Amino acid sequence: MEIIVCIKPVLDPDLPPAKFTVDGKKNEVIPPEGVPFVMSPYDALAVEAALRIKEAQGGKITVLTQGTKYAEEIMRKALAMGADEGVILSDPAFEDSDGFGTAHVLAQTVKKIGKFDLILCGRQAADWDAGVVGSLIAEYLNIPVVIRAKSIEVLDGVLKIERISTNGSEVFELGLPALVTLSSEMGQVRIPSGWGIISAAKKQVPKWGATDIGTDPSQTGAAAAVNRLVKLYVPVYERKCEMVTGKDPAEAAARLTEKILAIKP
Amino acid sequence: MEKFDAIVVGAGPAGCAAAYTMAKAGLTVLVLERGKYTGAKNMWGGAFFGPVMGEIFPEFRKEAPVERFINRHIISFMTKEDCLSIDFKSYHGDEGSSPGFIMLRAKFDRWMSTKVEQAGAILATGLEVTDFIFDGSRVAGVKVGTEEFPGNVVILTDGANSLLAKKAGLRDDYKAPDLKQGVKEIIKLPREVIEDRFGVSGSEGVVMEFVGACTKGLPGGGFIYTNQESLSVGVVVQLSALLENNVKASDLIEDFKEHPSVRPLIRNGETVEYSAHLIPVSGVAMMPRLYSGGILVAGDAAAMVLGTGLILEGANLAMAAGIAAGNTVIGAKALNDFSALALSQYESLLKESFVMKDLQTFRRAPHFLENPRIYNDYPEWTCAMMRGIFNSTGKARRNILEVVKESMKGKIGLMQLVGDTLKARKAI
Repeated sequence: MEIIVCIKPVLDPDLPPAKFTVDGKKNEVIPPEGVPFVMSPYDALAVEAALRIKEAQGGKITVLTQGTKYAEEIMRKALAMGADEGVILSDPAFEDSDGFGTAHVLAQTVKKIGKFDLILCGRQAADWDAGVVGSLIAEYLNIPVVIRAKSIEVLDGVLKIERISTNGSEVFELGLPALVTLSSEMGQVRIPSGWGIISAAKKQVPKWGATDIGTDPSQTGAAAAVNRLVKLYVPVYERKCEMVTGKDPAEAAARLTEKILAIKP
Repeated sequence: MEKFDAIVVGAGPAGCAAAYTMAKAGLTVLVLERGKYTGAKNMWGGAFFGPVMGEIFPEFRKEAPVERFINRHIISFMTKEDCLSIDFKSYHGDEGSSPGFIMLRAKFDRWMSTKVEQAGAILATGLEVTDFIFDGSRVAGVKVGTEEFPGNVVILTDGANSLLAKKAGLRDDYKAPDLKQGVKEIIKLPREVIEDRFGVSGSEGVVMEFVGACTKGLPGGGFIYTNQESLSVGVVVQLSALLENNVKASDLIEDFKEHPSVRPLIRNGETVEYSAHLIPVSGVAMMPRLYSGGILVAGDAAAMVLGTGLILEGANLAMAAGIAAGNTVIGAKALNDFSALALSQYESLLKESFVMKDLQTFRRAPHFLENPRIYNDYPEWTCAMMRGIFNSTGKARRNILEVVKESMKGKIGLMQLVGDTLKARKAI
């Protein structure tokens, strides 16, 4: 079983908002200095899912990430969790790609690797929450895709997937190769062991560029972006507090009711 | 299972200096850090005086994330309503050559640990060492929960109140008077505002130290350091005094921020970070045994903090000790002897260096600094004296000596003043 997992570094979602600022002119988030990015938590679920499949029936896990500042760090984390190999996709041509460009880079990488049975991704990245890259990779590779999986089983070369739907869950069966994106309902992600971290630190992680994977320059980078960021800002929520009183609870309740009814939706 | 030449516990200044020294010499080094990332758990005031830094990282002035170089020191005696300051500015050479600088730990630790990794050491974060592997009485590695990591030498640089040093039998329990508690806020302000309020430009920076009302007269002090786009504001107070007087350091910092001479400096700033830390302050008196078979201890974990009242210096000593520990292990590895006798070289190196010399020179300072008059009577007296000198009552002025005498009345006896001055001469 050859499994490929795609991961992305994001600003730690647990950071309090006071720790970072938004540059409204450049439409950029300014992260706090010294605080490293983390693997997008949904992507960590994809790594966990791959490890569980490997533990059940053997196989090899290859992790892919695009070469931003913290690519190396989250790659080491995935390897420390137990992934076998990793490739960092790094090329100036890839910078500022949107979901389409990123999916193109990843799909080309998968083609170059050649042999694979299953691709796993997080349901969406915890920064932009677009959730398109997984489906687009499947589209580019022309393989079936199931998104928001809660559990994955592989039985005799057939995938059995329970996915989260609006009203509960659905169970799918599909053949390999396929792509699945993982949702948080899957459960806990393991913490790397000390020896896992040590062996990960010693692994060589190759960097592949545009010429290595044969990307189409017209499909990557800022110029190829289909989405354009118009405005980035921190929403301001105003709270007003008004104390409603009365001579007794009944009167206070009546006044409160009046006020609620007076609010026009 | 792989056996490391050295395992360093804690990726702070001491640990990183040790790991860097050893990795550069080709030893296999594992650094275990309990924080999620380096710098996550670490704290200092922010001012750093360090020729040692230049010794180990010659390129640091260009590379390290220095906030500002210190060219102005302000020392203030404060009462509740007054503040008497000595303001020292120094413009020797260009600003980059200043011996002191201000840095933020989150950035600095990350920079330093990257250097350590580049030198070839393995850095593993999020792992808390819980115990040792023993070979007879000799330390032969560490345990993280159920995982074991064998190593020829363990270097303990796990910070103040090192429980592992206790577990290794290197020290007894500390007592509350041996520790100070530091609390600090990072207050965000625009760069131009900081430059205007503190009279600095470019990469110049200011260190302000306060004595007196900022600690409600308890042994300790307050401080303000200028970062690039924030201020580090905090108080450091003797732990036993906090306990005895039922005072919280967190309340002291609130009062400090409200003091009329501090409030305008931090006005409109936003507190973005709050941290607290223990500082071992009794110097040689509380120092643990520095080595044993298979183990060395350095930095805060070994109480290597120099407090003279005017300076409180730890990271500089920690790095020097880290280098000495690293060099000791390099020597031990060459002879393949990691016994207590072989590692005793560490103590010899420290005794030759400024670390032990300074701690020895100022060994009486910790006791001297417990004198409550420093934090109560002297600030009250000096401020009363200044009030007397500058006051205008419409009556005839008295000469300065009379003003001084008047201000001392009921506060300080002449014999006390002479006695404390003599003690100060010996201690600091």
